[in-house]
Amino acid sequence: MLTYVSRRLLYSVPVVIVASFLMFWMVRETYDPCARLRASRDAAAVSRCEERLRLDDPVVTQYGRWLGDAVRGDLGESSRTHEAVEEMIPRALWSSVQLIFWGVLISAVVAIALGVYSAVRQYSVLDYTFTGLSFLGLAMPPFWFGLLAIELLAVGPKRWFDLDQPLFYIVGLHSGDSSGFDLDYLRHLVLPVMTLTVQIVASWSRFQRAEMLDVMSADYVRTARAKGVPRRQVILRHGLRNALVPLLTVMALDIGALFGGVIVTETIFSIPGMGSLFVTSLSDGDAPVLAAWVLVTASLIVAFNLLADVLYSVLDPRVRLT
Amino acid sequence: MRRPKRSIGLVAMVVALALATVAACSAGTITSRPAAKGSGGGTLVMGAEMEPDCADWLGSCAGSAWGTWAIQEHTIPRVFDYAKKQGVWTEVPSPLLTEMPTVADVGGKQVVTYKISPKAVWSDGVPITSTDFEYTWNQVVTGEDIYDQSGYASIESVDDSDPKTAVVTFSEPYASWRTLFAAYGVLPSHLLEGKDRAAEMNDGYAWSGGPWFADWERGEQVTLTPNPKYWGKKAKIDKVVFKFIANTSAAFKAFKNGEVLAIYPQPQPDAVEQIEGGIPDTKAIVNVVTGNTEALWINNDAAPFDSLAVRQAFAYAIDRDLIIKRLFGGIGVEHALQTLNPPSQARYADTEAYAGYTRNLKKVNQLMKGDGWAKNDDGVWEKDGQAAEITLNTTPGDQRRRLTGQILQEMLKKAGFALTVKTNPSFFSEQLPTGDYQVALYATVATSLDPGLCVIACSKYIPGPSNDDSGQNFQRIDVAALDPLLETVDTAYDPTERIKAAKAADVVMAENQVSLPLDSLPNIALWSRRIVGPVGDNPILAMFWNMNEWSLKKNEWSLKKKG
Repeated sequence: MLTYVSRRLLYSVPVVIVASFLMFWMVRETYDPCARLRASRDAAAVSRCEERLRLDDPVVTQYGRWLGDAVRGDLGESSRTHEAVEEMIPRALWSSVQLIFWGVLISAVVAIALGVYSAVRQYSVLDYTFTGLSFLGLAMPPFWFGLLAIELLAVGPKRWFDLDQPLFYIVGLHSGDSSGFDLDYLRHLVLPVMTLTVQIVASWSRFQRAEMLDVMSADYVRTARAKGVPRRQVILRHGLRNALVPLLTVMALDIGALFGGVIVTETIFSIPGMGSLFVTSLSDGDAPVLAAWVLVTASLIVAFNLLADVLYSVLDPRVRLT
Repeated sequence: MRRPKRSIGLVAMVVALALATVAACSAGTITSRPAAKGSGGGTLVMGAEMEPDCADWLGSCAGSAWGTWAIQEHTIPRVFDYAKKQGVWTEVPSPLLTEMPTVADVGGKQVVTYKISPKAVWSDGVPITSTDFEYTWNQVVTGEDIYDQSGYASIESVDDSDPKTAVVTFSEPYASWRTLFAAYGVLPSHLLEGKDRAAEMNDGYAWSGGPWFADWERGEQVTLTPNPKYWGKKAKIDKVVFKFIANTSAAFKAFKNGEVLAIYPQPQPDAVEQIEGGIPDTKAIVNVVTGNTEALWINNDAAPFDSLAVRQAFAYAIDRDLIIKRLFGGIGVEHALQTLNPPSQARYADTEAYAGYTRNLKKVNQLMKGDGWAKNDDGVWEKDGQAAEITLNTTPGDQRRRLTGQILQEMLKKAGFALTVKTNPSFFSEQLPTGDYQVALYATVATSLDPGLCVIACSKYIPGPSNDDSGQNFQRIDVAALDPLLETVDTAYDPTERIKAAKAADVVMAENQVSLPLDSLPNIALWSRRIVGPVGDNPILAMFWNMNEWSLKKNEWSLKKKG
């Protein structure tokens, strides 16, 4: 196992480096980080900026310089904000982690519950209802769902019921006066978490239903029933436990991808996470931040992919990693 | 088979519903800090559509308008405020000064004298002195990575022998002296001398020379709290929070949701529609007197616009008032701008210079035929096998500009011009400097009341080897009669002479139709009726300049129907 993990990690290093180089190169080729200084009355401002960022050097040289510093723990300075990138990334990551944590937790609970119920009560009215809703969730673009949720659960109720305070908040993770885990935080989380999870719940619940149906028709479950094991115990101990193994690996893969995929949710709800950082950095051609962003998100995706494989082998004794 | 008593799914749904219910019920019990009706206190939360990039106001990262509006103008003392006098915006001495600075010619050199208020102190109680002026000047001219050294580089010395009088001597005449120590303000030498100013200020600072302290939590918000040592009008509100919101649409939603009590949105069509539709319990200002000039900037060197007749025919083909009505009619703005100077600089402009350019297809025909053009089978003007096909370049993702392009396409088609609209992310960095365009739609933004069109219209600023390709005359305007007039505006510090030259320059620019002004991108301010006080727009400092005079009405009991 250790050899396998080490080998996978080693293989991942060039993947991550190539990904960050491609990002750095494409941004340098398509964006001018000094462009906004063309609005300055001082005609020399642009040349001073180009000199400071050493834009005359070939892109490979610029990237090599950045990577050399990155290896020593210095991810450089944002060309937009002049802030150290190693301070920007953890701050953005923390916001995204909060969103993803709650999103995954709630998605997992809801998806497993729906999946199990649908499998156990196959072809019931609620099974058809959940199936229909999950297809609707899969087909619904998150940005549209987010805007709809804002209108129907925040702005709408405030107007319809003439509320003095909004039901749910739509900007950031805290109000101006608040911080930490409190009611204000929960009221900020509800809509972004719903937006983030709508498609995840739909796909995970379908997956869970299929796995559960598969397991529930297995011989060992039939044997357990024949022996008179209570139905609840059959479902939870023999059915759910085994049906969860494949879902856990899917979850691990999806969580990794979410770190790069929260752009829509974070933009709609003005949450300063990894998605927002990507959008603002891209619009300003901030190559050092974007290269570091790719480095971090690619590493997370690689790590969660690896976790998925390891989990699978740990949970299913038939699978051996070599 | 026995049915399970509880299903996990049901439990999960109950938990989710409980969360929502708790949130909903609590909405009625959470109120902001109560305050006496309009008497002060409380927390005011406002929306900011963009987060500042840095708080080092001299540095190249500090060009963001929201940086000025949310932090700088509340914490950095400046020499001027801006007020409307006899219908014209003008500079007035700020609380930092005791009187308007004086300009004199001393031994052939321009000397400006600033008298500093004896009451003016930094937040630590140390007086603001002429040494702070000298320090600021030194930092601008010797610092690395400075946003704009214009004017400061022309200063020969700052005499700080009298702590409360700063005497600034110029090595060469500098007519725009009013921009100095106004846009950048004055920095505290006793706190920054000997330190890395950029590093000290980049992420915010704990001192202030204005009515507020600013605490910047990157990514989240800026929180202003009163500076008890401020010598001017004290702030009445306990705390002002600028929440960063992703875009205009989100800002409107946050405002309607009651999360922010004021917004200052960009004048995009959806914003105009929202205001037209009405928002309850809201006050609004639409101000056309801004520092912006949105125009069809024409490349005078690119065919077919290298011909004066074509440039003029192009102007006669467009009904600019109709475009403005379509864009801003919903908020009462119906007339096009008639000068390339922004309305905030109206005293230096001939505000009717372009008024003669109204849609007139007869004149279009006359001018085009006179220049040797004839219409081809498609109804498009053609000369020497070249059709009058024009590409309009603009910034991507701008709803208003996309709509403008569509209206222009229709108008110009009927006049015999084929217009294509293109957007490009490297529009400012590549297309404009290299001259790889015919017409461009964008706005120039003036950050002071001081005129200065030379930098975009004098021939010496056409990008080329003489200015290391850094000139900003992207329109390649090269009119012999124009250069001396605009240079006078830049160098003569006698206001009468400047005004005369600036107005004459406007006429020359209109006669040569060097570019076609459209509008001033009106400033829009929306605020809740809970905000009490002299809320108003300012073309330089936006709606936030006098927040220290605002107060908040007591919050109403939630869920209670408003009487």
